[in-house]
Amino acid sequence: MLLAASALLLGIPAAATAYASSATTGTGWIRLAHLSPNTPAVDVYLYSFGNSNAMIVLHHVAYGTVSPYESVQAGDYSVAMRGAGAPATSQPVLSTSVTISAGHAYTVAGMGPESGLRLQVLDDELTTPPGQARVRVIQASLKEQVVKVSLGSTVLASDLKFASVTPYQTASPGTETVTVSSSGGTATSSVTLAAGTVHTLVVLDGASGLEVVNLEDASGAGKPPLGGVSTGFGGTAPHGPGSPVPWLAAIGAGLLLALTGGLRLRRNRQLPARV
Amino acid sequence: MPTRRPAAALALAAGLVVIAGGTAGLLLTRHPDPGMRPVAAGVAALPAPTGPIVAPPQSAAPKPVAAPVSLTIPLIGVQTQLITLGLTSTGELQVPSTTSVAGWYTGSPRPGAIGSSIIVGHIDSVTGPGVFFRLTELTAGDKIYVKRADGTLAEFRVTSVQTYLKDRFPTENVYGPVPDPELRLITCGGAFDTATRHYLSNIVVYATEVR
Repeated sequence: MLLAASALLLGIPAAATAYASSATTGTGWIRLAHLSPNTPAVDVYLYSFGNSNAMIVLHHVAYGTVSPYESVQAGDYSVAMRGAGAPATSQPVLSTSVTISAGHAYTVAGMGPESGLRLQVLDDELTTPPGQARVRVIQASLKEQVVKVSLGSTVLASDLKFASVTPYQTASPGTETVTVSSSGGTATSSVTLAAGTVHTLVVLDGASGLEVVNLEDASGAGKPPLGGVSTGFGGTAPHGPGSPVPWLAAIGAGLLLALTGGLRLRRNRQLPARV
Repeated sequence: MPTRRPAAALALAAGLVVIAGGTAGLLLTRHPDPGMRPVAAGVAALPAPTGPIVAPPQSAAPKPVAAPVSLTIPLIGVQTQLITLGLTSTGELQVPSTTSVAGWYTGSPRPGAIGSSIIVGHIDSVTGPGVFFRLTELTAGDKIYVKRADGTLAEFRVTSVQTYLKDRFPTENVYGPVPDPELRLITCGGAFDTATRHYLSNIVVYATEVR
């Protein structure tokens, strides 16, 4: 009885709400690139599927340009390329559809020679093994149709053909020399791959020879902290009602005292009246 | 006659007083103290800081951004310098040694650079509110500003506010790589465990840079 009463009286506070839902807010990422060496600059349009009003328009995108990522709601989209300055209502030179999943990132790139230009959708990686980096290569040089790409002493790709992409590979963090060699010569570039970052190396036709562009696809904490964070001491936390036991004890003691006193008074009254 | 037994009468009276007192005490303490509640949200408590807002780096040639020095969240009156935080010897995130400032985890990207930048602050001390006491008042769209060592300003927009039980903390969501400049503000929240003196949950505010 006392237990039941105290459980009732304690009024145990309801557990705080915890949202188990993913941090992602139903959005993914997309970036647009022009990687066709002999194709003139283009205007790139991003449409939400079925909507003729473009969400994003990138004007005068020249060869070698890669846009920053745009965060968009997950769903179906289409990407269209028109010649730079062409009316938005004109027939696109090229278009493709892309499905963006929440929490995923994509690169839509114009690839290949102008005569065989295509829009390719690449899945971009957003994870690394703990303390490591990830790297892939896009071969966008038309001058050198086949290249070998090394990161330090590690060969990333030995016979990489024009307009092709390697899968991502794990790399140790640090600063390394990227060497791109081909029948026409060799180009080198220094790249820094930090732990917890994802990179795409793009081999481009430079003004003379080859160029390597190091794109940072994604970045996070190189060493993710373990678990949650202890950032509170409870000074503003709602306080529980405390134990009812002292109060119940006081009531009990009071009852005892009152009963004793009351009984003695009563017994007193029942005694025969003294003369 | 009562007057003949003054001790008994006194005991009865005292007993009744104690019963009344005990009952009053019991009833009065059954309503949990709601704790300190934030003042009503509404107008921004602080003006937005000023400074040159530098466009986020284009991915083609990422320019390094300067280290963060201060954080302003006008809507909830937060204006704090940012100290630097690392990891503890056990691999957990360090927290500021005082509850009135926030800190940036140096193992995460700088605010405004590509990736998820981590800023941590206390919800409270043992006696009162800490720098991130009102963090849960933020909702999608609210602005957050980070000033950097070179005087430039990065402006962020809240995308979501989440509460996670600490034993189910989504490490990958919070600390994992992302492809655009983002911010994560972390503090404590949820129920307070009076036995361990720790909150059971973490509040994480997700924000992305405004371009």
